[in-house]
Amino acid sequence: MGSRLMLIQSSLSIHTYRAMAGAVFASKPLSICRVQQKQQRRGVSGARSSLDPPDLTRLAQTARISLTPAEVEEFSPKIQQVVDWFGQLQNVDLQSIEPAIRADTEESNWRDDLPETFENREAIVAAVPNYEDSYIKVPKVLNKE
Amino acid sequence: MLLSSVQNPRLLYLQSRLSHFNFRIKSSLHTSQTLTLTPSPPPPTSQILDIRKTLLSREKTAVELAGDYLTRIQRSDPKLKSFLYVSEESVLREAEELDRKIERNEEVGPLAGVYVGVKDNICTADMPSTAGSRILENYKPAYDATAVSKMRESGAIVVGKTNMDEFGMGSSTEASAYQVTANPWDLSRVPGGSSGGSASAVSARQCVVSLGSDTGGSVRQPASFCGVVGLKPTYGRVSRYGLVAYASSLDVIGCFGSSVSDTGILLNAISGHDRHDATSSRREVPDFTSQFISKDILDSKPLKGLRVGVIRETLDEGVDAEIVMSIRAAVSHLEELGCTVTEVSLPSFSLGLPAYYILASSESSSNLSRYDGVRYGNQCESEELNSLYENTRAHGFGSEVKRRILMGTYALSAGYYDAYYKRAQQVRTLVRKSFKSALDENDILISPAAPSAAYKIGEKKDDPLAMYAGDIMTVNVNLAGLPALVLPCGLVEGGPAGLPVGLQMIGAAFDEEKLLKVGHIFEQTLQDCCFVPPIAADN
Repeated sequence: MGSRLMLIQSSLSIHTYRAMAGAVFASKPLSICRVQQKQQRRGVSGARSSLDPPDLTRLAQTARISLTPAEVEEFSPKIQQVVDWFGQLQNVDLQSIEPAIRADTEESNWRDDLPETFENREAIVAAVPNYEDSYIKVPKVLNKE
Repeated sequence: MLLSSVQNPRLLYLQSRLSHFNFRIKSSLHTSQTLTLTPSPPPPTSQILDIRKTLLSREKTAVELAGDYLTRIQRSDPKLKSFLYVSEESVLREAEELDRKIERNEEVGPLAGVYVGVKDNICTADMPSTAGSRILENYKPAYDATAVSKMRESGAIVVGKTNMDEFGMGSSTEASAYQVTANPWDLSRVPGGSSGGSASAVSARQCVVSLGSDTGGSVRQPASFCGVVGLKPTYGRVSRYGLVAYASSLDVIGCFGSSVSDTGILLNAISGHDRHDATSSRREVPDFTSQFISKDILDSKPLKGLRVGVIRETLDEGVDAEIVMSIRAAVSHLEELGCTVTEVSLPSFSLGLPAYYILASSESSSNLSRYDGVRYGNQCESEELNSLYENTRAHGFGSEVKRRILMGTYALSAGYYDAYYKRAQQVRTLVRKSFKSALDENDILISPAAPSAAYKIGEKKDDPLAMYAGDIMTVNVNLAGLPALVLPCGLVEGGPAGLPVGLQMIGAAFDEEKLLKVGHIFEQTLQDCCFVPPIAADN
């Protein structure tokens, strides 16, 4: 693919990286914003993620999307490139940082657990592609060995 | 060099042809120190208030106005392709109803007679809502999104549904399954994305205001590219009920307008708690429209005492030099208005981009699992249930959507969750904290909305990482859930009349009031800038 990611480590856990887009696809070298470092840069380490690379065929099965061989060939390098780029998070010191589900949470916004009837059921039913006698029709389920 | 203003597109073209003019316009409140011969164009007025005056004074009817907008759309949309669906019939019907109300001297809402474009991932019961995807082709939702019903209750008339990157996944609107929208400033360039259609429609004056959605910058970056005002509210300010979910912890519905005041009036109409959205805030909604003071009664230093922080990491390498200059010119303008501007550093800034893409891909892989062809949307006939799912999704989703679902599935898989998703959540905490401390020291933070002006259609389409890199200015704001306003602050070279550059202002959570106040004063006092693209001026 031609892209290289350079991951530079520092003891302050602030990271810089330059992504050079392949000449085939971009007209000029690309750099993503750099964070200024207070200390001198140390060595450069390769940026491949230490985990197993994505197995596209298995992932496609899990995600229930069928991929053509051409798609597998086209997507694999692009996905690998992005996953490698994700890998830089593994080198950040995140000990004792709480994960945040979303930006901010207010007190409980829950409603009472009482069923309500939606007033426009006809429109919902009208949207069903295969509907018969109050059943939503789907093809048979085959048990996979 | 930077062309920081344009008085008249035709004059600019002539000047650039004759010589390389290099004039810096120092904007000031009371005197214009320009070298130009033409008078400074007036700042934008509120089209919403102008329409209200026109209708209530009987100068024009709503039906006549509807005709104006529909004709403009008919003329310009074949070139622009902002709209996926235009509803002439309902527009004229609602305009007639409004005219009858006015004749009977009945009270009309604050958005009466205002023609609105709605991004196609926001549900409208009477119009198809496809989210830019083939998997939802012709899908008619069973209800209006809360934001849409609130707008309609205020008197707004929905003109149609605007084009977007499929399911919000993109930054140029090239990933729409239907068509590519062009930038009104230069038809060979992108309008930005994913709310490209909503931005271009307002920019080209095809509608008055529009709704978009912003998960990683999808309102703010197109606003910058198209020279319009774009507002991303605080997460929880506007109900997400009826917004097709992409990344539920990041999605918000946002507003586009041709002026800060119009954007604020629209925000007023759509904000508020909604029992159908458990993440919508119960916080009281202030009257956002009370922020708009007339320019004529402003003090000489109306923003005296306002502390503004420029985010240093956004003016670094990787940002076009012309953009940096535009922002520095905006800084001068703010200082003249009385602001104290300092540089601020956000250490975790660059981590936000990969963290955002991990979170967005992961959440979208979950959210898009509902598109299985069983209960709605296009269905691929199959002999067996799993093939039904696999084929329906293979045919219905575009490539970028498929890739993000696969990446998200990977990041959430057993054994990888800790390495990717959980760490991205932790980076979110870091980003939140660093914004919070910066906003403790400053009233607002500013930055560009994008590292460049609008680029050419096709330029980044085949390189996902290049496309993602352009979101660096905007994603951290979504991670932190903060509000942000983008407004045009200058023009750079490119296209027949220059290309707009947007200034992003970021505020503390739920502080849209301050953003609107500052934005309005900035816009009303900006000299020698006219952000009407040639295609709209011709109409």
